[in-house]
Amino acid sequence: MTRAASTHDPLLAMHGVVKSFGGVQALRGVDFDLQRGEVHALLGENGAGKTTLMNILSGVIGPDHGEILIDGTAVRFNDPRAAQAAGVATIFQELDLVPTLDVTANLFLGRELTRAGVLDRAAMRLGAKSRLEAVGVDIDVDQSVGELSVGRRQIVAIAKALTYASRILVMDEPTAALTAAEVDRLFKVMRDIAARGVGIVYISHRLEEVPRVADRVTVLRDGKVAGTASPRAPQSELVGLLVGRPLAEFYPHRTGAVGRRVLRLERARYRPARQRAGWRTPQDISLEVHAGEIVGLAGIMGAGRTELLSTLYGAGGPGAWSGIVEIDGTPVALTSIREARRVGFGFVTDDRRGGGLMLRDSVGRNLVACVLRKVSPLFLMSRSRETRLAHKAIVSFDVRPPRPEVAVGALSGGNQQKVVLAKEVLGEPRLLLLDEPTRGVDVGAKGEIYARIRDLAAQGVGVLIASSEMPELIGLCDRVVVLRRGRTVAEFPAGADEHDVMAVAEANQDGIDE
Amino acid sequence: MNDAVTIRESAPGRQATQRRLDFLAIAVRFQSVIGLMLVAIGGIIFSPRRHGLILFLAPDNIANIVRAVSETGIIAVGMTFVIITAGIDLSVGALLSLSSVLTATMMVSAGWGLLATLLAVVATGAAFGAIQGIISTRFRLEPFIVTLAGLQVARGLALVISGNQYINISYGVGPGLAPPIFSVLGDRLFNNTVPVATLVFVVVAVIATFVLNFTRFGRYVFAVGGNERAARLSGVPVTLVKVAVYAITGLVSAIAGIVHAGQFNFGSANDGTGYELTAIAAVVIGGTSLFGGAGSMVGTVAGAIMLGALANVLQLNNINAALQLLATGAIIVLAAVLQSLVRRREGLAR
Repeated sequence: MTRAASTHDPLLAMHGVVKSFGGVQALRGVDFDLQRGEVHALLGENGAGKTTLMNILSGVIGPDHGEILIDGTAVRFNDPRAAQAAGVATIFQELDLVPTLDVTANLFLGRELTRAGVLDRAAMRLGAKSRLEAVGVDIDVDQSVGELSVGRRQIVAIAKALTYASRILVMDEPTAALTAAEVDRLFKVMRDIAARGVGIVYISHRLEEVPRVADRVTVLRDGKVAGTASPRAPQSELVGLLVGRPLAEFYPHRTGAVGRRVLRLERARYRPARQRAGWRTPQDISLEVHAGEIVGLAGIMGAGRTELLSTLYGAGGPGAWSGIVEIDGTPVALTSIREARRVGFGFVTDDRRGGGLMLRDSVGRNLVACVLRKVSPLFLMSRSRETRLAHKAIVSFDVRPPRPEVAVGALSGGNQQKVVLAKEVLGEPRLLLLDEPTRGVDVGAKGEIYARIRDLAAQGVGVLIASSEMPELIGLCDRVVVLRRGRTVAEFPAGADEHDVMAVAEANQDGIDE
Repeated sequence: MNDAVTIRESAPGRQATQRRLDFLAIAVRFQSVIGLMLVAIGGIIFSPRRHGLILFLAPDNIANIVRAVSETGIIAVGMTFVIITAGIDLSVGALLSLSSVLTATMMVSAGWGLLATLLAVVATGAAFGAIQGIISTRFRLEPFIVTLAGLQVARGLALVISGNQYINISYGVGPGLAPPIFSVLGDRLFNNTVPVATLVFVVVAVIATFVLNFTRFGRYVFAVGGNERAARLSGVPVTLVKVAVYAITGLVSAIAGIVHAGQFNFGSANDGTGYELTAIAAVVIGGTSLFGGAGSMVGTVAGAIMLGALANVLQLNNINAALQLLATGAIIVLAAVLQSLVRRREGLAR
């Protein structure tokens, strides 16, 4: 913008970037570049250095060594404002939007337009409208941001970033909380912006999204570039780069030995805790889970996966279920969580920080939370039983560090998830209900979690898994049941085609169900 | 292979952070014990002396300190359960007053026996607390609001029952007289050294420490405060636990009310004002988090004694009451700041 940049210089180049934090080297000589109009995906497991690299690029921290060139000119950012001034805009996972203010106010936050010292509301509204039009979305500029869906907030954040005349956009896991349709729209917006010459650094851990949006992929591992690849490279190659070893068996072998029927729902209906738009009760659920079997629940956001699992777990209260609901051939009412646990249910929520763990408490105390009865004969806590069970769980799930006294909040996401799972497994459930069991977990830990789930099934536990990651359902489950608007509408055998399942899940979204 | 390398390299840094954190966490955990020691040392240094005797350490003075803190201490012990569940109980001071009025009325005006009176008062206190817990859980109301209302109700009941008069307790045998044994609450045992009120405090504290740390119920209390949803999903009877902790504060307030009546030989609808705040202060100074999920009974006991000792040291030096308030305020802020530091460290360590 300021000088005629040679078109041979990349838009952004980083050379030999090194950064350490108190003896731990987070980045050890990273080279990275970004062309005009390119979407460059940056992948890496937790701790690989993605966040550090992004923070350096956005001026939050400075590098120890190495240089950053924009249009071939060396730059040095001392704070985020300097980076913004140089045209680098960063959209963090926690969007820097004020939920109580409206869209217009958010877009102009900190750079409000005024006339004679008074806010020029009309001019800002016009500006906001044109900016949202520029990213191709129709959002009411007078609506407060808190009322928007997460996907729409994401797009408002992009529009805001673009008001800084940005030429480099850094996005940190922008799809983490989005529905499939919102992801599609976001990707379209990203491609449109790139087509105008903006370079986008797209940080993610969702491998399956990479080919849909990226022009190039760079994988970080242990603070170094593990490799750069075409986004159309086979997934196994990318996974190999990510974890640093060939991943022969990402999903465990199916055992195939299926026992007797544990759960049977036949034309069952439940009263959901929260009515979803477009649902019609009765939902009509028909579904079976056998001992030793892993059954997947597929469906788009809002199809009722979480509602079904949590109501099965008794969260719906008295009278929540009607129709045929049987455990081991005996009808059950499932009116409370305690009753569901009594008949042998275990449940892992999709919100491990909000509903899975007592974050400030130790790993050991979290692990025994479901089995307090077992470790407190006559109401008195038995430290020896408690320690024995905690150690057993830590060993069988390979929780790291293997120390029960560490606060669980200090663990990595993958290890926290192992603790959540292990704590349910200690309760020796007959039927385990898992809601998004690998959300926010890096690839290595995912593989371990899949293996443990398969082990459990091999020991005769029935498993019902809801997931929004289709490859996970297809790869792990023995059967996949599709939910749509609260109803079970189809069932697929192991190894079905991902696109077929998706087609059924997304079908008939506009019309009213027959 | 690569995985192993990563872990080995990052481990020393993480462990060092962990150790620093543990040290700070332990200091905060026992902050009130450390604070109590500091106050005691200060007391010895600054204490006025008479005939070479350190007045602060005189047996009479020590007995006075532990007697003076016994009522708020008993309440603070119960309050610890409530605060660990991330709740609060403002009704305790008023309930103490109501209980003292009930005790005096039952024995003097209604002519009840000692045992019947004690059981009835304790049961009333527990029921009062349980009702507050039920209202708060059933209608999903903030305990702050429910117990603020409870404070007014208890105070109102006490005024109505007592007719806003002191109900004096006279001892003897016969109608309108309380059994002489009740007056033991104002006495000292063991060669006139240990106040009976303090003994009650010690017994309540020992039982509470045991319940909190060594029973399943205690673990439930921590779980509910640590993450209510996680506790519910783990099969913890969350509603029951919440009702129970308010029943506990009600019960200890009744015990404190009985001790109050026994020490001063009357029931009064105007006593116990502000006790709830002193009790909360003792709990917070003791290292229990107002956000719930973490806390220590030993800390609460030390916190309660520390507040009493501090007031005593200042009194011995004829420092006026206003300055005592300033000192207490400063200590509460300091305790809260220390806890906030630990929380922030935990956040960073993640």
